[in-house]
Amino acid sequence: MASHSDNVVGQSFRQAMAWLHTWFGLVLGFVLMAAFFFGALSVFDREFDRWAIPSTRFEPQPMPSYERILRPAFERMQPTRQAVDAMRPRVEGEMPARFDTVGSWSAYTTHRDPVLALFAGYQVPNAKDPDELIWADATIDPRDGTPLPDDSLKVGSGFFYPMHYSLTLDWKNLGIWIVGLSALVMLAALVSGVVMHRKLFREIFTFRPGKGGLRSVLDLHNLTGVVALPFHFFFAFTGLLIFSAAYFFPVGHTQLHDLHDLHAEVEARELGLPHKRAGVPAGLADVDAMVADAQRRWEARGMAGDVGFLVLQHVGDANGYVSVYRAGTDRIALVGQGIHYKASSGELIREDPVATPVGKVAEFLTGLHLQHFRHWLLRWLYVLGGLLGAVCIATGFVFFVEKRKRQHAKQGSQGARIVDALAVTTVTGMVLAALGILVANRLLPLDLPARGDWERYAFWAVWALALVHAGLRSAPVARGLSNPAWREQCWAIVALALAAVALNWISTGDHLLRTIGAGYWPVAGVDLALLATAAVAGATATALRRRATAARNAPVATRRGETAHA
Amino acid sequence: MSRASAVSVFPVRAPFLAPRLRLAARVGAAIVGGYAFSWGFIAAGAALLFKAGMDFHDAEFLSSALGLIAFLVVFLWTFAARRVWLAWVLLAGGGALLAAVASLVQASIV
Amino acid sequence: MHDGVYAGWLLAAALLTSVAGMGWLALAMQVHGRQVWGQPASVGDARLLRLLGASALATALLLCLLVDHATMAVLVWVMSLAAAAVLVAFTLAWRAHWLGALAPWVRARAGRAG
Repeated sequence: MASHSDNVVGQSFRQAMAWLHTWFGLVLGFVLMAAFFFGALSVFDREFDRWAIPSTRFEPQPMPSYERILRPAFERMQPTRQAVDAMRPRVEGEMPARFDTVGSWSAYTTHRDPVLALFAGYQVPNAKDPDELIWADATIDPRDGTPLPDDSLKVGSGFFYPMHYSLTLDWKNLGIWIVGLSALVMLAALVSGVVMHRKLFREIFTFRPGKGGLRSVLDLHNLTGVVALPFHFFFAFTGLLIFSAAYFFPVGHTQLHDLHDLHAEVEARELGLPHKRAGVPAGLADVDAMVADAQRRWEARGMAGDVGFLVLQHVGDANGYVSVYRAGTDRIALVGQGIHYKASSGELIREDPVATPVGKVAEFLTGLHLQHFRHWLLRWLYVLGGLLGAVCIATGFVFFVEKRKRQHAKQGSQGARIVDALAVTTVTGMVLAALGILVANRLLPLDLPARGDWERYAFWAVWALALVHAGLRSAPVARGLSNPAWREQCWAIVALALAAVALNWISTGDHLLRTIGAGYWPVAGVDLALLATAAVAGATATALRRRATAARNAPVATRRGETAHA
Repeated sequence: MSRASAVSVFPVRAPFLAPRLRLAARVGAAIVGGYAFSWGFIAAGAALLFKAGMDFHDAEFLSSALGLIAFLVVFLWTFAARRVWLAWVLLAGGGALLAAVASLVQASIV
Repeated sequence: MHDGVYAGWLLAAALLTSVAGMGWLALAMQVHGRQVWGQPASVGDARLLRLLGASALATALLLCLLVDHATMAVLVWVMSLAAAAVLVAFTLAWRAHWLGALAPWVRARAGRAG
């Protein structure tokens, strides 16, 4: 029989789950903090974009005319030098100076977008995989087609959002894999947490801040974990699912490549939507008329709506077709009810039928996570969910440290100190980094070349500084005391948040009275959130200082001992 | 493998080394073994559902959803498993078997 | 579907109903009854409170369904339950006696009993 005296994780199922929850929760918790916090910010990604790029502070716009606005904009687009260099290893031979054979042109907009995102995919001559396209993207003002400068960093959708699903670590998609692993561990932590915390429903409202110490921290950890358990579970699960076919388990592109291609050919034939170019040039009919027709058809089906996604496939070829998709503003699905027209003649090829049951589930699960719907209450509830998740993870760190720091102090171990310093870095430090990029965004000169890169450097620099500060100030933890860095970084948050609001006012003139008065909520909302952040951080710093003073003044005999973990 | 034989196989620091190695093997089983098992599960599921008539992307999606749950289950189980080597065998072996099924199904269609 | 002011009122009602529902469910529990009234609610009162709580949560779902497409309404409802539970938990932690306002008849009974 196997010996268990060397079984680190414990003898029983419950013990094993407790070990898993503690150690994997700790290590991957640092990544999960970023995923939850930047995920919460990403709910309002486009609003952060408005704040960061003042020239885009106008009302959301519908999809503009193809002929007047989109076509000239598409024709101007070409892949960047970086994209060309990234493609080079997958090409045998020379790469052209200009890419002219268009695989597809597309434009995507939601009810929150003043500016319009354009995408262009070009065929690559001599590519090892002839189906692979090289991509270019651009952002334009849909009212007149003016392009947004390339290095205007969209702090929300272009930074906070990729930060949350990939930590912006793009080398070989390493960041996506790390966040993916942390999402799996999140699911494991939720299940193991339920196994450990048997009295799930009986203690669902239990929060005893008065008790102090470990009990209060654990109560808050349990409360924030249980109360939003469906949210935490579904977001981790759908996050994994959304990236599964493209990154984690790309069976269709690898092992089952043949099945995938077979399906594509069959589908193209059945639907009348050609998979490949014919190689015969052809003109383009009136796209605006096609769009208008699509909108009439949706109305006829009782679902009048806006155009969310417009795609021109195989541009300039006889097999070309135009697809018009309805924006899912009033439901969870992102876009739907696609209607497809033959590009050269404008005649209807097909109206997408209602999705299959599995298709409907896929739309629901994807849309639930990516949120392109119009529902301000639900958005704010999502932010609440994200913040509850962040508090759950943060209290997990605090519990880990508080439970062990006195013991580690006696043993002369640095373990609790290191974890505490890392916890400060990923809780207050992360908030500081986010504030740092907003402040840098307002301070950097508008005509600075690669301005977006400098904004990113500011983010990482502030975070690195927070790490150094947290580390240097953490010596007391090794003696069983608290790290003053917590309240010091809280004060720094107050300062930076107020600075960001002030800088917005100074650099754009859009102070709160003006933005609220005009009802321009994207910017007013960010400023108000910054002020609320300052208030919470200030209150926290004050409470922490009060507790530190009380602890210093309390006689040794009355200081509470550790409460054992139930 | 009993404690006594573990000591005889590894050098002097065995009592320190063996538990950590075993833990590393367990973590490896959970992540790498679990991944292999899930890959096989998803590939086999997608191929079988497609053969049964489901649209390919629907099959891939449904299989991925179930496969991710399967990954979670085996991940948790690996930490509770008494014998780490058995976890490795079942996960890696099971994954390979399921992947083979997927390729066979694909060969039968294409 | 989702039209402006009317929708706003319905959603506010749904939120309040969720809070009331969570509050009643909490009051039915012995430990929280003690926090609010000094003693847990009687068996009969607890049963009534649980019934009120469950009904309120179901009503909240119905209100959500009146405002939005079913796919969105369900999400709004689930998240409102989370928000309501947190609010009730914080109320119990810092101002427990406030929660008693949801069931004024219970306190009256406790007072009469002595």
